[in-house]
Amino acid sequence: MLRMKAFGLPGLIAGLALSTAAAAFPIKAGQGTYQDPGITDDKIKIGLFAPLSGPARAYGEDPLNAARMWYEMINEMGGIWGRKIELVIEDDRCAANDLVAAVKKLVEQDQVFMLNGGSCSAAAVAAQEYVLRSKIPYVMLNASGDGALYPPTDYIFGGISISQRAVGGIAVDFVVKHFKAKKIGYINHDDAYGAWNLETAQYMAKEHGVSLSVESINPNITDVTAPMLKIRAANPDVLVLTTYARPAALILKRAHELGFKGPIVLTVTGTANLKQLVENVGTKDAFANFYVQDVINDSPDGPKQRWIIDMYKKRYPDLAAKPDHPTPYMPYGVAAAQTVTHALMLAGPNPTRESVARILRTLTFESGVMAGLISFGENDRAGQESSIFLKFDGEKQVLQPGVYTSRWTYKP
Amino acid sequence: MMGDWQVYWLFLQQGIASGLVTGSIYALLAIAIVIIFKTTDAPNFAAGEIFMAGAYIALYLVIFSQIAYVIAVPVTLGVTFILSALFYRVVLRRIGVSPAVAVNVVIATLGLSFVLKGIVRNTGFGDVPRSFPAVFGADTIQIGDAVLTMQDVAVFALALLAMVIFFVFFNYTRTGRAMRAVGMNPRAAALVGIDLHRTRMLIWGLSGLLSALAAILIAPKILMTADMGIVVILGFAAAIVGGFTSLPGAVVGGLIIGIVENLVGLFVSTRAIVVAPFIVIMLVLAVRPQGLFGGPTVIKKV
Repeated sequence: MLRMKAFGLPGLIAGLALSTAAAAFPIKAGQGTYQDPGITDDKIKIGLFAPLSGPARAYGEDPLNAARMWYEMINEMGGIWGRKIELVIEDDRCAANDLVAAVKKLVEQDQVFMLNGGSCSAAAVAAQEYVLRSKIPYVMLNASGDGALYPPTDYIFGGISISQRAVGGIAVDFVVKHFKAKKIGYINHDDAYGAWNLETAQYMAKEHGVSLSVESINPNITDVTAPMLKIRAANPDVLVLTTYARPAALILKRAHELGFKGPIVLTVTGTANLKQLVENVGTKDAFANFYVQDVINDSPDGPKQRWIIDMYKKRYPDLAAKPDHPTPYMPYGVAAAQTVTHALMLAGPNPTRESVARILRTLTFESGVMAGLISFGENDRAGQESSIFLKFDGEKQVLQPGVYTSRWTYKP
Repeated sequence: MMGDWQVYWLFLQQGIASGLVTGSIYALLAIAIVIIFKTTDAPNFAAGEIFMAGAYIALYLVIFSQIAYVIAVPVTLGVTFILSALFYRVVLRRIGVSPAVAVNVVIATLGLSFVLKGIVRNTGFGDVPRSFPAVFGADTIQIGDAVLTMQDVAVFALALLAMVIFFVFFNYTRTGRAMRAVGMNPRAAALVGIDLHRTRMLIWGLSGLLSALAAILIAPKILMTADMGIVVILGFAAAIVGGFTSLPGAVVGGLIIGIVENLVGLFVSTRAIVVAPFIVIMLVLAVRPQGLFGGPTVIKKV
């Protein structure tokens, strides 16, 4: 296994210094012809994409900004093995058709060396067939993408923020350990996304010997009276929500109206804008016993996140001055870009798509950004499987002790 | 700890109470759809986006321009009235002179739906789910075992009030009667001196106004996104259940859909909530093809 421990910013600088020094010697990159497109003596082309318009823009725009600032920083430090990274950016609109079209354009027209993108699972999974046929390494941006990660393939790597399989199991692990919960209410989506997180939630519930009352809802639900009333009737010790932000806001509001007093834990799936969540729920009283999951290594304003926030503010002063920026999902983009640059560095001065994909399959490194290691394995193409929890009272987030890591493993 | 029967009794009461609240909004939307269908013989596929646009106009006025509700709500209703009426005047009236009128109207309304959604998305307001601040507070009242918020009660009461006003308008005013006449027999209406285009333009305006009212009432309950117009499918479902050409049918259909959604979610499965309205449609059409309040089936002679 290739391990690059403590490979956050300091580790990366050391690594880049090594690759830059190596580039000055006879093994300097670019000794003529290359077997794959998108790579020359002095540059390497990466296709970067995310939803940059449409209703899911909030999920992808800032992670893409973060990835771009990481690549730009690498270029300012001399590039990788003397090659500057050239980005070709596309808008996938969080739609399967648009994402597949963007990927095809990047591969066939722009001739990129590898792909880094996708913030929406269903859309990212749709590119699976084309990517595998093209044999091009594809590292997702911040999509969970479980559908393309299990069973594992040779070229697709995702779950850099977290996989849905990890989300559900970790949430159950947290509520059992933190609240000593025996009976857990669980509301998820009734689609593949919800099924993925429910699978590991049930796995962890079984491991802990606790019961799970599950209500699965359509993401477009307009009236959440029925699921919330059924959850209240089941009288759980704690309620876990793995929905998107809109259903989560409706459920929190209804839970408050129906007098549900137990702790409510919202997973990272619905935390894109907590300030807006409070406004949508309409009262801070609904957040009296409320917790959110996050997948970074500290609270968003904590010291371990300072370097990345400062970097963002320096790189995008106008954007940082806007309200609600950087968004909570922003740091995930850095981890995804790190995955790409680490793999390129480890692949040596003359990388091929095949050698980069081979490196990625067993890559492990400390990002300095995320809650756990970014780590792939023989049967695991999901990069990050840990999370932290914060108590959120409608204004402030307070970090809860412990980092929780998924114990579910894929069995071929 | 409640026994099973107590829980089911609570489910029944809460399901009906909450269903009446959301159902009253579906009823308003169904009326907006039916009055257009009755006078143009084509469904308005932009009804959802007019509903969505109404919500965003109100959001812009209330949140971003900090205008008081008492001014923002009438302005929103007025703007949607004017925009919908203008759509008829500028687009549909021109289409009306061409052959294959119904198909062209449908395509035009589809075009309008794309335009409205595109405009809202380009403003950036539709990027995250949003809501208005609560007007009536989060205080709850108990009816039997069911719990409703003051907002719920206000939504139901205002929707009912709007329906009563429309009933009075259609039955007891000269303009309202003219609209009914155009819906029943446009040629005869024209012969007695009713200006068809002016009347249809007013109907489009009223439909827009009703959609905006429904949007303002329900937005805090469902939250606003650029895709919130999907709710109008339930308005269509209500209209079909009621008979599609019947205004009382639209009201009853809306309430039925609202209640069935909740009861199916409570007694069958929350996964089945979204399919429940369509099962109701199938059942109603199988038993009574013209809908609950539709007239006898008419076969046109060729």
